[in-house]
Amino acid sequence: MQQQADALRTEALELIASAHDVASLEAARLKYLGKSGAITALSEGMRHVPKEERPVIGKLLNDLRAAVTNALEASQKRLLEAADLAAFASLDLTLPGTFPSPGTLHPLTQLMDRAVRCFRRMGFAIADGPDIETEWHCFDALNTPPDHPARNEQDTFYLPDGRLLRSHTSSVQVRVMETTPPPVRIIAPGSAYRRDEVDATHLAQFTQMEGLYVAEKVSLADLKGTLEFFFRELFGAGTDIQFRPHFFPFTEPSYEIDIRTEALGGEWMELAGCGMVDPAVFEAICERRGDRVYDPEKVSGFAFGFGLERLAMNLSRIPDIRMLVENDLRFLKQF
Amino acid sequence: MKISINWLRDFVDCQLPASELEALLRRAGLEVAGLDQRGAAIDHVVAAEILESTQHPNADRLSVCKVNDGSPEPRQIVCGAKNYKVGDKVPLALPGAVLPGDFKIKTGKLRGVESEGMMCSAKELRLAEDSEGLLILPPETAPGTPIKDLFPTETILELEITPNRSDWLSHLGVARELSVFTGVPVKAPEPALPPTASAEGQVRIESEGCPLYTLRRISGVKVGPSPQWLRDRLAAVGLRSVNNVVDVTNYVLFELGQPLHAFDAAKISGPLIVRAATEGEAFRALDGREYKLPAGSLVIADTNGPAALAGVMGGEGTGVTESTTEILLESAVFEASGVRRASRAMALFSDSSYRFERGVDPEGVANASARAVELILQVAGGSAELSLLVSGKCPERGKVSLRHARVRNLLGISLTNAEIESTLARVGLEKLAAGDETRWSIPGYRRELRREADLIEEIARVVGIEKIPSLAQGPFAASSDADAAYDFAMNFRRSLAGMGFHEARTSTLVSAADVSHFGDAVALKNPFGDDQSQLRNSLVPGLLAALRRNLDQGAKSIALFECGRVFRTAGEGQRLAIVVTGERHETSWHGETARAWDVFDLTGAVRQLASLGEQDVVPLPSPVAPFGACAEVFLHGKKIGIVGQLTPAVAREIGAPSPLLAAEFDLDLWRATATAKTSVAALAKFPGSARDIAFLAPLALPYGEVRSLIESLKEPLLESVRLFDLFTDSKGEKIPSDKKSMAISLTFRSPERTLTADEIQAAADHIKAALREKLSVDFRE
Repeated sequence: MQQQADALRTEALELIASAHDVASLEAARLKYLGKSGAITALSEGMRHVPKEERPVIGKLLNDLRAAVTNALEASQKRLLEAADLAAFASLDLTLPGTFPSPGTLHPLTQLMDRAVRCFRRMGFAIADGPDIETEWHCFDALNTPPDHPARNEQDTFYLPDGRLLRSHTSSVQVRVMETTPPPVRIIAPGSAYRRDEVDATHLAQFTQMEGLYVAEKVSLADLKGTLEFFFRELFGAGTDIQFRPHFFPFTEPSYEIDIRTEALGGEWMELAGCGMVDPAVFEAICERRGDRVYDPEKVSGFAFGFGLERLAMNLSRIPDIRMLVENDLRFLKQF
Repeated sequence: MKISINWLRDFVDCQLPASELEALLRRAGLEVAGLDQRGAAIDHVVAAEILESTQHPNADRLSVCKVNDGSPEPRQIVCGAKNYKVGDKVPLALPGAVLPGDFKIKTGKLRGVESEGMMCSAKELRLAEDSEGLLILPPETAPGTPIKDLFPTETILELEITPNRSDWLSHLGVARELSVFTGVPVKAPEPALPPTASAEGQVRIESEGCPLYTLRRISGVKVGPSPQWLRDRLAAVGLRSVNNVVDVTNYVLFELGQPLHAFDAAKISGPLIVRAATEGEAFRALDGREYKLPAGSLVIADTNGPAALAGVMGGEGTGVTESTTEILLESAVFEASGVRRASRAMALFSDSSYRFERGVDPEGVANASARAVELILQVAGGSAELSLLVSGKCPERGKVSLRHARVRNLLGISLTNAEIESTLARVGLEKLAAGDETRWSIPGYRRELRREADLIEEIARVVGIEKIPSLAQGPFAASSDADAAYDFAMNFRRSLAGMGFHEARTSTLVSAADVSHFGDAVALKNPFGDDQSQLRNSLVPGLLAALRRNLDQGAKSIALFECGRVFRTAGEGQRLAIVVTGERHETSWHGETARAWDVFDLTGAVRQLASLGEQDVVPLPSPVAPFGACAEVFLHGKKIGIVGQLTPAVAREIGAPSPLLAAEFDLDLWRATATAKTSVAALAKFPGSARDIAFLAPLALPYGEVRSLIESLKEPLLESVRLFDLFTDSKGEKIPSDKKSMAISLTFRSPERTLTADEIQAAADHIKAALREKLSVDFRE
């Protein structure tokens, strides 16, 4: 019996070792462990073994069965792993991926949204006003003299009814204060229009971001801190920011803001106008509202504005402003 | 406005290099748009007179000249230029000179003839960008004069002056500003002639708009060319020399900012009267043109009519000429608005009107007159009458109060009273009253300082914004309706980009043809051209133009969208539009074959975007232009937009190769109609079962009727309906050509239990029976 078992073990292990595919392994399993397999048959011989020998023979047969089973399992594992490897070997990951490419947001939208997110972090809400404005909202309320050149039909688009296309988004400041008592802390992204000949650096319609903060005790220090924070958020902590005294009819004192940063080519670049809201603007608002909530003796505020096109052009080295409105997919897909 | 740094240094002893000067002026609010270096600082280049010129023996194109360089012996120079004649004075570079470009001059032979130097062109001396031949110097130039004395080096600043600062429109004004920021005192010109004596007569103001008018008579002048220093100064600021008298008036304008005018006294009849012109009154100006004056424009007139248009330009008939010997010199103040009106009305602009429009210093009128007299006597001789003829008077100085607490609050900086006061004193203001609230007298050259806010600005400017702290603080802000609108549109933008559409931004200004299909539109009164004469009333035409542009560039697949404003007579609104054409996807190695965008891609995209059901896209029986077939899109029963395929005519016009599709939505209405999800549906606990049904239907039967019939049955176990196959056979081989085969997957589910096969079969049979009965379809068994 012992000899028989040993012979069977040697034979079975050899056959299993020589099986090179799942089918021959299965054949080997059936040959030894199947219903009519050799080891099964041997086990059935147990009946004829004398009772006292049974434990010894039983152990012998169990060991044999275990050895064959282990060899089968090991072989099976080896074959599966080889098959898995073979399957991956035929997978060519250099083939181009097939997911369709997504679309893009316009570079001005992306830039505007960056700016909006930043101002929202600082507690600004968005405000809105019409593109078609009254002369009062666009000029009169903003302390613009009646014979100011910006009002000229050479420079500003008018409608036959006397209204105009706003020449700056500053008109939204007026709209907000007209309807909302202080404190107001708003930004207003939107279109503005100037009657310019379109060329590489000018569009008749362009995009501005306006800002206004009016409350009690707002100071030039608030203006400075707010805009420094904003531009460093936008361009990085190492950005140089310079406020240069300037003149706007609706703010006093007024400044232009120059920025110097690697992101914009490392040159000083004039980016924004800002200042403390002129008391004359508050007076015009008070008169229109019929109350004194914007009394310049009680409240103060700052306002600012900047154009997005020039910023986008410098951030992405766009050589011609018209590329921003031509909507050439070869351009849009780069953003 | 051009400012010469040399001229500036006449008034303020400031030796800062140009770059630092520029930085300082910027800090003061004077923008330096450009720096122009002029002159020739080259050693060993002198003026030389050409004594004789002969043909070079060995070269056709060269001459051999003998020149006088100021030394006793003539010098021999070989020269290639042709633009001179014997007797001309030209620049001569002597051996040892180094011309710009490191060009060293030495004695040498040119084709065998010795040349002891080189005669120069303006370009070779960097006096001009480009020049032909030798630079011919003025005839009075003495031979031997170093060229650096003839063309002294000079830096010209091109300044951009903000409209509030008329005082910066002169060298004295800019010098004052330099003084404020450097502490170096200003030396204003103090003309030798005392301007105090004054008398009435010969001049009368009869109209508003001229608070002060002065005249000074100068006799025995000799009009002629100006001396070189005067020409140089005018050239530095971009002016051409006219004659010595006119040049002096221009000089004083650029020096002190006061426009002046010189009349030829012999051509003036009777007293000069400042009066309003009558409508259409004729005036021939110094520019030689005849003007018809609008009523009310201010003129200086004698008995013959207008001799000058006040503050704008003198008259041709009364101007200074070569034969003038006696002049009347005007120095006056004309109000800004009147000058601006007259100047605009006649499109006549001058250095004079530019300054009056911004306002001149009334306190400087007499001094400017005296300064001009002094210079005229110096360059044109003659003698001045001591008395100044004056009409009107210098307006009183403005007085402004300042609360120091307000300065500190508005600027956010703790300045002491002393700091505030010394700052304003530096600017030239005179303190009238002391304390926590001070009162200040404003000098004539800063008349724009009228209010407390103006003084606060002045303090901020002089103290410098770098001294102001940076505060980072602010209140909470509630979100606004505009915030909601922004987010609503931005969500769609992101979704559409994620779906493969590219965002475009097109112009609001469009042509009349562009607005013709989309209802009423708003037109501009003063458009820049016909193609930008209207405000768009739809985003579609702009997007189609962008699409066409991309087609022209060879793009194969174009899918664009835009979120933007449209304009109707009733008001402005926010829209969203999409246009697509070309390949939906290309043939790939993966087995997909190329396919063009079709209208179902777009209706599908629209449904995804708005989470709409199939029933919310409702075909319009008669399509509206420019659509050839279209459906309206409904949200909660409100029509929010339209989607469809444009007519082949439109597609042909822009060269679109495959179906041209478009959709447009009213975003305002969409946002107003949209509702937030308030609860989620329970997740199914029991398995659903699908049953597929397939049938032949009449070719003309829309799928929508099948779907709405099934929905109308309100079969409680039916969860969803999905069309998964549609087949037609125009040849009638597989199915009759007047039929179509539809296959629909019906999913049944109960929230309470697993359905039995019998229940599912009964529900499916119910649906099949209804389809058979109501829509005459044949089930394929």
